[in-house]
Amino acid sequence: MNPEFIKTICPYCGTGCGLIIKVEDGVAVATYPDREHPVSRGSLCIKGWSAHEFINHPDRLTDPLLRKGDTFQKIPWDEAIPMAALKLRETAAKYGGDAIGGLSSAKCTNEENYLFQKLIRMAFKTNNVDHCARLCHAPTTVAMVQALGSGAMTNSISDLAGAECIFVIGSNAAESHPIIMGEIYKAADKGATIIAVDPRETAVTRNAKIHLRINPGTDIPLLCGMMRHIIDEGLHNENFIRARMEGFEDLNEFLHLWPVKRAAEECGINEEIIRNVAEIYAKVKESAIIYCMGITQHACGTANVLAICDLAMLCGHVGTEHSGIYPLRGQNNVQGACDMGALPNVYPGYQSVSDSEIQNKFQNAWGDTLSNKPGLTVTEIIGLAGKDIRAAYIMAENPALSDPDTNHVLESLKAFDFLIVQDIFLTETAKFAHLVFPSSCFAEKSGTFTNTERRFQLLRKTVAPPGNAKEDFEILCLLGNALGLDFSYKNPSEVMDEIASLAPAYGGISFDRLEREGLQWPCPDLEHPGTRYLHKDRFTRGKGLFVVPEHTPPKELPDEDYPYYLSTGRMFAHYHTGTMTRRSSFLNREVEEAYAEINPEDAALLDVKDGEKIKITTRRGSIITNARITKRVSKGCIFAPFHFAEARANMLTNPALDPRSKIPEFKVCAADVRKESQDG
Amino acid sequence: MLEKTKNIARQILEEKKASAVFGLMRNEWNIIQPHLFEDPAGLANLVLEPKWLLAKLAMRILRSSPENYKLAVICRGCDERALIELIKRNQIEKENLLTIGIACSQEQAAICLCDRPYPEKLDAGEKVSGVDPFQDERVRKFLIGNDKERMKRWADMLKRCIKCYGCRNSCPICICEPCKLEDDVWVQRGVVPAETITFHLIRAFHLSDTCVACGACQEACPVNIPLLYLQLGMRKTLREKYGYEAGLDPETKSPVLSSAFEKPDTDREFPDWINSLREEDES
Repeated sequence: MNPEFIKTICPYCGTGCGLIIKVEDGVAVATYPDREHPVSRGSLCIKGWSAHEFINHPDRLTDPLLRKGDTFQKIPWDEAIPMAALKLRETAAKYGGDAIGGLSSAKCTNEENYLFQKLIRMAFKTNNVDHCARLCHAPTTVAMVQALGSGAMTNSISDLAGAECIFVIGSNAAESHPIIMGEIYKAADKGATIIAVDPRETAVTRNAKIHLRINPGTDIPLLCGMMRHIIDEGLHNENFIRARMEGFEDLNEFLHLWPVKRAAEECGINEEIIRNVAEIYAKVKESAIIYCMGITQHACGTANVLAICDLAMLCGHVGTEHSGIYPLRGQNNVQGACDMGALPNVYPGYQSVSDSEIQNKFQNAWGDTLSNKPGLTVTEIIGLAGKDIRAAYIMAENPALSDPDTNHVLESLKAFDFLIVQDIFLTETAKFAHLVFPSSCFAEKSGTFTNTERRFQLLRKTVAPPGNAKEDFEILCLLGNALGLDFSYKNPSEVMDEIASLAPAYGGISFDRLEREGLQWPCPDLEHPGTRYLHKDRFTRGKGLFVVPEHTPPKELPDEDYPYYLSTGRMFAHYHTGTMTRRSSFLNREVEEAYAEINPEDAALLDVKDGEKIKITTRRGSIITNARITKRVSKGCIFAPFHFAEARANMLTNPALDPRSKIPEFKVCAADVRKESQDG
Repeated sequence: MLEKTKNIARQILEEKKASAVFGLMRNEWNIIQPHLFEDPAGLANLVLEPKWLLAKLAMRILRSSPENYKLAVICRGCDERALIELIKRNQIEKENLLTIGIACSQEQAAICLCDRPYPEKLDAGEKVSGVDPFQDERVRKFLIGNDKERMKRWADMLKRCIKCYGCRNSCPICICEPCKLEDDVWVQRGVVPAETITFHLIRAFHLSDTCVACGACQEACPVNIPLLYLQLGMRKTLREKYGYEAGLDPETKSPVLSSAFEKPDTDREFPDWINSLREEDES
């Protein structure tokens, strides 16, 4: 049979690049870049090029699995679905619907996320539904909604190429969002100034004009120092502030706490460089800010994002084509999972569950009563396992690796009375399940993903799922119906039409409009062309709001017992919990083993050579990993990627939460490092 | 040009000269992608734009097909040259390949800095004259100055590399197995950027006498490294000093191969750009 070439969307990061999957005899055999794709335009990163590799891996789940003691037994779907429904219903009857928790998935489609939250909300009358956005951009949603009225990236990826200054803070886009890094280089090649802020040296900082190597957790001092200087020099945009902003006086007053001198001391850099970057950012016509986990994964994550919004609005660098604020979303559909209301406080389209008018709207549409009490977050659902939460349904999430303080998470996963995990592999989390549903990967289903620039894109089915595995859409419909709901959807397109009817920002989205290039929300009606950049003449909330960003240092700083800063993150060849990338032969060949970066001076003190084993210990636990000696980390700092199940960086991380967004502080904790004896 | 191409393709399918015609298809949604046309009626959806290199895809199709499977490929000049190089390297059986050669527009030639924007076997479209890439400012920028300056310019570009392997994956001639870039004797695994000398220069020199200047590497590069410019000097030297150009006909062997058997001509001068990629002194 002749091969077919089918266009679809990459399953890895939030950039949403276009792939062409080559299918031979029903098997995905190769991935090529899509020259016509509006974002990636014929380029891919190493992960994108390898996207087909894990699809046919022998570890794929092919049948529902039922726990029997320490092992699993294959069972047919017509036993698995009724059993799941029965157990969930029994639990809800005995302990109340709020004893059920659901973790939806940023890897799944919009339609699947919509059905998931609808199932949890309708069947159990609870809002205990959340997903891993809690661990990445929860502060973005909270802060940007407060300051601008919308939690999404303000502009489009291709707009970056026209910026005159790009300020990158806490983002290693070159490894985590490589195709977006390409847009930054396009701007640089046209003469834009690239400024990078990162305690580590990364591919971004090496290619930036200016690198501010600040102390970990000192983003607010830096941003406040810059703002103080901008106001003192009269470089703020007074017309913009007068016409479009509120709260300037309070901010200005607050910023007197942050003269450049104090900021420089906190950050560990010199004053002149702060003044210099502040002037560059403020003076050019259009400046963009890119940020990522280096900003959000702190106990002060929300305040960090607020400080970024303040800086951008202070200079009027919002609401034009090439300025804006770019939170880079991590998962292929984390934007969509949030948009679809897989969050404990909002329905699809960020409509509050506690607003009675909204509640009525959804009750009428769905034909049942709904709870108006905001639900629990990811970390709370896991943390309360066996206590307030008796049963959980986890769709394609892997908290056993992704959540902080793994030892505690593993204890919790054991504590559920009943745990259902739906995934494509028997993940570290699925190993704790009572019942496992085998589901479909990106290449085996249709639906939509929404990328980091709010673009709904069509995912096309290229091959069938393996064995008896089913599309998540079908599993959700079966379970919904078994729970007594009317989930008789014929296809994902029908679900999208229902979403469009309930969430005004997506009112104009329908599958047949998405075929060629997708559509960027807000897209309120079928005639609307989509929105390239937000807040043009007015902010989504009306006026923009300056909010004072209070600085709180990291909750755990190095001390005598734990003298190192430990930071976690991603590297270019692997992705998140490694479920897919570590089963891709090409990616796994590039990086086979866990490692942590350590500065040469520290390595010398510890008598550790490159590639030797080190033991990293924090107050939560310890891991043994390979030392990678490099000046990319400063003396006194350790960096550990979190992709590796055999040396889980999250054994070490601090579960301290940002009080407003409840994101854990993945980016800073205190650690001790020892050389691990080779014979031990 | 499009109608003529469709007619030729239709004839090939109707006369069963090939099992399929490989080209670009535009569907009802205006989506364009590579496609195997097996049914003459499907040719209504055939398009020729945008420039989309098909040689490597065509090779993969032929290599996974039954022995006597014949494929007709709609190709531009660069695609034709790449296919000829693949024949020379025993990747494609000459008898199993038909080409339908189409000419590029002047505009396309300018975008690609192409000095030969047409196939030798031209079936549809009018030849336009090529562009001399060495007259282009963007290329000259990488060739002027002393070797230190040139090295600096390249180092600044190559340190952007994110090691996607897109240059290798998309290059129609990059077919070695195992690939030297995957051999950790040469290239350190797991770090970005890929090393300039062992990654980029191994790749560039591996292709010194086979590069057909299609620009696929550069087009696939996510970080805008002008990889094509790395090859242009070597192509120029082969043409000017050895009278050789990759991909023009299947019979002429590369001087890199022939010099292994023939007495080298010691009087040749080295072109001045040849050390532009020398590593900077430690000082």
